[in-house]
Amino acid sequence: MEKLIGQYHQYPNTWDEMFDASGGVRSLYQEFSSFLNNIEFENLNQMKDFSNQFFRNQGVTFTVYNDNKGVERIFPFDVIPRIIGIKEWTFIEKGIVQRIKTLNLFLRDIYHEQFIIKDKIIPPQLVINNRYFIREMINLSVPKNVYTHISGVDLIRDKSGDFHVLEDNLRTPSGVSYMLENREITRRLYPNLMPKHKVLAVDNYPQMLYKQLKTLVDKSDPEIVLLTPGLYNSAYYEHTTLARLMGVELVEGSDLVLDNHEVFMKTASGLRKIDIIYRRIDDDFLDPLSFNSQSVLGLAGIMESFRQGKVCIVNAPGTGIADDKAIYAYVPKMIQYYLNQEPILKNIQTYQMDHPDQKEYVVNNIEKMVIKKTDGSGGYGMLMGNNVSEKEIDDYLHQLNKNPKNYIAQPILNLSTAPCILDNELVPRCVDLRPFAISGANKIEVCPGGLTRVAMRKGSLVVNSSQGGGSKDTWIINKSEDA
Amino acid sequence: MERSYGLLNLIKTTYNATLDSGDYSDWSRILTTYLGKTPEIEFRNHQDTISTILYIIFDDTNSNSVLNMITKARENARSVQEHISRELWLSVNKYYLHLSQDNISAKYKKEDPISIVNELLQYNHIYYSVADISQERGNAYCFMNLGKYLERVVQSIDFLDVRIINLDQNNENLYESYFFKNLLISIGGYQLYLKTFKSIFSIENIIEMIAINEKFPRSIIYSVNKLNIHTQRLNNFNQINDKKLIFLLGKLSSTLKYTTIESIKIKGLENFLKEINVDLNKISISIDETYFNQKY
Repeated sequence: MEKLIGQYHQYPNTWDEMFDASGGVRSLYQEFSSFLNNIEFENLNQMKDFSNQFFRNQGVTFTVYNDNKGVERIFPFDVIPRIIGIKEWTFIEKGIVQRIKTLNLFLRDIYHEQFIIKDKIIPPQLVINNRYFIREMINLSVPKNVYTHISGVDLIRDKSGDFHVLEDNLRTPSGVSYMLENREITRRLYPNLMPKHKVLAVDNYPQMLYKQLKTLVDKSDPEIVLLTPGLYNSAYYEHTTLARLMGVELVEGSDLVLDNHEVFMKTASGLRKIDIIYRRIDDDFLDPLSFNSQSVLGLAGIMESFRQGKVCIVNAPGTGIADDKAIYAYVPKMIQYYLNQEPILKNIQTYQMDHPDQKEYVVNNIEKMVIKKTDGSGGYGMLMGNNVSEKEIDDYLHQLNKNPKNYIAQPILNLSTAPCILDNELVPRCVDLRPFAISGANKIEVCPGGLTRVAMRKGSLVVNSSQGGGSKDTWIINKSEDA
Repeated sequence: MERSYGLLNLIKTTYNATLDSGDYSDWSRILTTYLGKTPEIEFRNHQDTISTILYIIFDDTNSNSVLNMITKARENARSVQEHISRELWLSVNKYYLHLSQDNISAKYKKEDPISIVNELLQYNHIYYSVADISQERGNAYCFMNLGKYLERVVQSIDFLDVRIINLDQNNENLYESYFFKNLLISIGGYQLYLKTFKSIFSIENIIEMIAINEKFPRSIIYSVNKLNIHTQRLNNFNQINDKKLIFLLGKLSSTLKYTTIESIKIKGLENFLKEINVDLNKISISIDETYFNQKY
């Protein structure tokens, strides 16, 4: 195995999680490297087969749709964990808490007084013309003033090792079940190393979520349900897992009824009143009377119940505006504006494509840029300037020119890499990190670790599961790199 | 069969707990409590764990090993083949043949312990399913259930007696989520607990669930109610007009029905369990007198 470590070729100008620039093993990975030195490659392949079988047996799959056919796939998993020291994690945690607190204040503000617009911190058109700005939410007070109950903040590490926020996912961030299952399998793969490293636990996430959701209503035993679009949703496994582990009912829109603006769930013993709905469907499909009139996934009239304070919807409708890619550029300013603090986690330099100077700069440096749609997600609708033909660039810019305010650009950063076992080799692959934060009435908690997503293709920066991405377990250990 | 099922689940959750906490001392207690063997070594690492698991499952010198339990279950099944379904006999025999293969212990040495236990638990699950769909609802079925629920109620009492009463409230592991999770999984009650009490983990809730929750199939009251049902069926089938056993079971069943967590707290869990143990002993003797040692 030593030979394999010796044959590990790092990407140039890239931070590697396990090895430093001179190829030495970082101190956090010392014990892990000893483990790798003493194991036969055949055993690593067995571990890989074992984990694949585990995911298949547990039904940990997601559905990919092609030609209207859904195919269940295993989310590729790499057996080598990513290790982060406690000091660095504390920094990340503080940064996420600061950011979520700010975004929540931002949402409260734009749906009420709009001080941030009046004080000219954010251009009004970015908010008012944003498709995620929901007029139904204006002047509507949400329970305990919490809008962003569950957030998944995507972080990447640049070549100097600093973490940057790639995007804030505040609508219905997914991936938490993979975080839980990755830990479940990793603890079995490394029965010696895991206890030795005293890795911080993630398996209390469902309990953490339940406890924080409970704080949203003044009831000792509120009825909480998880609203799913149904069996064919790509994240259905996650919905069932969370409902099961929180001990709450998993419901679809057709399981719910309204009576006098109260929301009830149909049960064998009659109707049961619901206090909190953790919805895993987008705003558009939540209420056909308020949003997409064709939707049968939600419940007609639920927005009026929410308006009257009869039910708490999690995350609150209209939070999408705060994770819009155009708004993202203003988050550092928001932190200064609302909290009077310097941002702990850095943003990536972002160019607004409706700004002529910025657009010109981007077009002139297109080979170093990635252009994204402000409302895009899942790695779709973006252009990586370093990896496309001139025609593709022209076609993309042609589309962009029709509505430039719907696009932003960012410099292409070299995501950090972590060693992975692929095709009988130890190879570097790009990774990001999605920690999950939960906001209740009184505090924001961040689950230690999160989902490390991996771009499985050589040289690729796209970590999204729908585009061939995979994942690995993230160990937060009570040790620091400096120690 | 029921005892092996309980022991395998215990192995699985103890192993899970060691993965979470890195504390291997639980194995010592299990060897002492369940196998009556005082360990000579101190459990320090994962390798000790593997050896212990294989010992608990395969050691043929220990009458409480899984191998010996299944061997005895097979002997029982063999001797009553004319009363049990062919399918049931085959399922027990297949379990025995699997465990008694040459070198199976060596084969398992390198495998993930949870996979080993899961593989064996599958045999138990198949046994229960085969019994359910193939066994005629006559005397044999009722006797099988008397044995099953007597064993299960003893296991539930042991669980409260050994694992709950001795909980050290100052142990910091107690406040880690995995502690209660593993504790509940070991008795198959994690899912129901979450549904009933959500994520509020407390020892009182666990006691309540294991002692008096009629919906929990491993609770004391559930097993006693089942004993009651099968005794009444046996009496009907065989026109036995025995009052003593019915009285003892009815009394225990009623006592449990009108027990609350508050009354257990007033009485003290230890006293509560002692009283149930006394009642169970009487019931056990009475079953023997009623069905097996009748005086003519």
